[in-house]
Amino acid sequence: MNSVVVLILGLIVFFVGYRFYAKYVDTKIMKSDPKRVTPAKMYMDGVDFMPTSKNILFGYQFKSIAGAAPIIGPIIAIQWGWLPALIWILAGAFFIGWVQDYSTAMIAMRKDGASLGGLSHKLISPRARIILLAFLYFYLLLIAGAFGNVVVSTAIGLKAAPIAWLFLTIGGVLAGQMIYKWKKDIILTTVVTVVIALVGIWLGTVAPSDKIIGASLANSRWLWTIAAFVFCYFAAVLPIWRFALPINYVASYIVFLGLFFGIIGIFILHPNFTLPAYTNFSIKIGPLWPIMFVTIACGAISGWHSLVSTSGTARQLENELDARPVGGGVMFVEMMLALFALIIAGTIYASSAEYGAAIAKGPGAIFAAGVSKFLGVLGLPAETGRSYGSVMMIVLAVTIMQLVIRFMRIATSELLSDISPIFRNAHVGTFIASILGMILVLTGWWQYLWVLFGGANQLMASLALMLVTAYLMSEGKPAAYAFYPMIFMFVTTVAALTYTSYNLLLKVFTGAVKGEALIGNTLMGFVGIFLVLAALVLAAEGFKAFKRYKLMRTPVAGAKT
Amino acid sequence: MSEDEKKKGGFFQAVKEFVYGVAAHDSARFALKTRASMEHLFILITMGDMLGVPILPPYYSLRLLPYVVPQISTWKRRMLREKDLTDALA
Repeated sequence: MNSVVVLILGLIVFFVGYRFYAKYVDTKIMKSDPKRVTPAKMYMDGVDFMPTSKNILFGYQFKSIAGAAPIIGPIIAIQWGWLPALIWILAGAFFIGWVQDYSTAMIAMRKDGASLGGLSHKLISPRARIILLAFLYFYLLLIAGAFGNVVVSTAIGLKAAPIAWLFLTIGGVLAGQMIYKWKKDIILTTVVTVVIALVGIWLGTVAPSDKIIGASLANSRWLWTIAAFVFCYFAAVLPIWRFALPINYVASYIVFLGLFFGIIGIFILHPNFTLPAYTNFSIKIGPLWPIMFVTIACGAISGWHSLVSTSGTARQLENELDARPVGGGVMFVEMMLALFALIIAGTIYASSAEYGAAIAKGPGAIFAAGVSKFLGVLGLPAETGRSYGSVMMIVLAVTIMQLVIRFMRIATSELLSDISPIFRNAHVGTFIASILGMILVLTGWWQYLWVLFGGANQLMASLALMLVTAYLMSEGKPAAYAFYPMIFMFVTTVAALTYTSYNLLLKVFTGAVKGEALIGNTLMGFVGIFLVLAALVLAAEGFKAFKRYKLMRTPVAGAKT
Repeated sequence: MSEDEKKKGGFFQAVKEFVYGVAAHDSARFALKTRASMEHLFILITMGDMLGVPILPPYYSLRLLPYVVPQISTWKRRMLREKDLTDALA
């Protein structure tokens, strides 16, 4: 199949899903009302609650949800063949993905801007909130581990990446200094710092890491793991304007330009898929169902989006009608990003063997090769293109990682400060989160880690859909459009996590793994089991709430109506 | 301005806002959050009486009151709002 056909199919799904299905739910079920006062207006405090234009929020939501996951998932999942991956991306985004993003934003708006913790407290039970918070901590730990692995494998696989990453960091820190301390013009700041980042990308090709620090250090997983988590450590403990935000600012231009010109490159080159449409039902990381459905998380459906929709976006929407373009529309754009990644993985290698050799080094190398090929059509030299793709991959992963470590630091303080006041210390919380993440990166096999992260992420999505269902039932609205996706995602993700955890722990208890792998398998296996148990308890709480809402809506016999 | 010009301006305005949303909206929000936390502290020190915490002598509080008045309503909203751990993700 030609890659342009895939993009056109994506646009059709986007159009039908957004124009008809989402509009139907928005007008007939949610009954969004432009006259209803949103929390952004009602509780306007100039900080969290602030009415904001839907175009700004569109960009904000896209930047917040589109990390490395919509790119890496399809690159790994193509091992089952590109056809199952394509079907899941299109169907997942159409029936489940936008439903979650849009609906969680809507219910947060209708419930005074409450975030997921508050919503689970209000709609399900106080216990549900506590379990959700514990679930969240381990879910975020898996994100840190999975994305950390991507950073490390990219830094090792592409020797131009470390210098490019370093220059981007320097550009970002300088941007923070220029904007907030020296009060320089924003356009000047942007031009200077983006040029520094671009120079770093070029410099990476002439001074790769193995030439600077030697081959053994350049190939050291320890070195790059420490580098990734030290980066996140600074992001978590320094004032946010000093490090995390300005780096994200500069990185957003690099990523945006790369994606924009990459998609133009696809249209110009319009290559055919060279990998098989379907390989086997069962591959090394597991069977197509349930494992492929969690391998592609973002791009089809992702629980991370519900966190962004409720805690950030819902408090800024100035009009209920804006929830559809911002919540739903952005999800479809992310679906297009996942298709872009699928095209890269499916078209740049001549055979499955070539792809197999590339994926063994990690998804970053494949993505960088694809970016290089499609930017090459526009005249960028292949080596510079690869360097560009590698830094895109690293920043997409590391921007989410730093947010996650920062949140885990706050969660440690919140959940454990009653045990000892030492947990209130920012460095202690960050250190614990970083060490746990580093153990996962250094000891876990990255494909299992990715599957566990995907499983936790999708499980988070099914829990968010449970909240949506509870809300719809409490309001006496038809809940089927959220209920059935919730059931599908819950069964699929619990099956995926149980299958993967069982395999990991089986190897531990039968003595099939030793050394680092023993630690990695044990940690990942028990985290997976914990997530499944927490999700089962949450589901039980959720179904109790459903029953309660159903009883509330059932007319009492003999009562006057 | 004609309808066409408005539409054209509307499109470029939308693109501009989108780019701002991707690149800088988060930075602006965090700058506001930092300012707000300073403001919390300042109002608590100067107007602590409102919450039963008399820190500065009332004379100085009264001198400062006119400057603080515009912030009081949003300050109260932020202080009294029920907060949750998951808020920290935004």
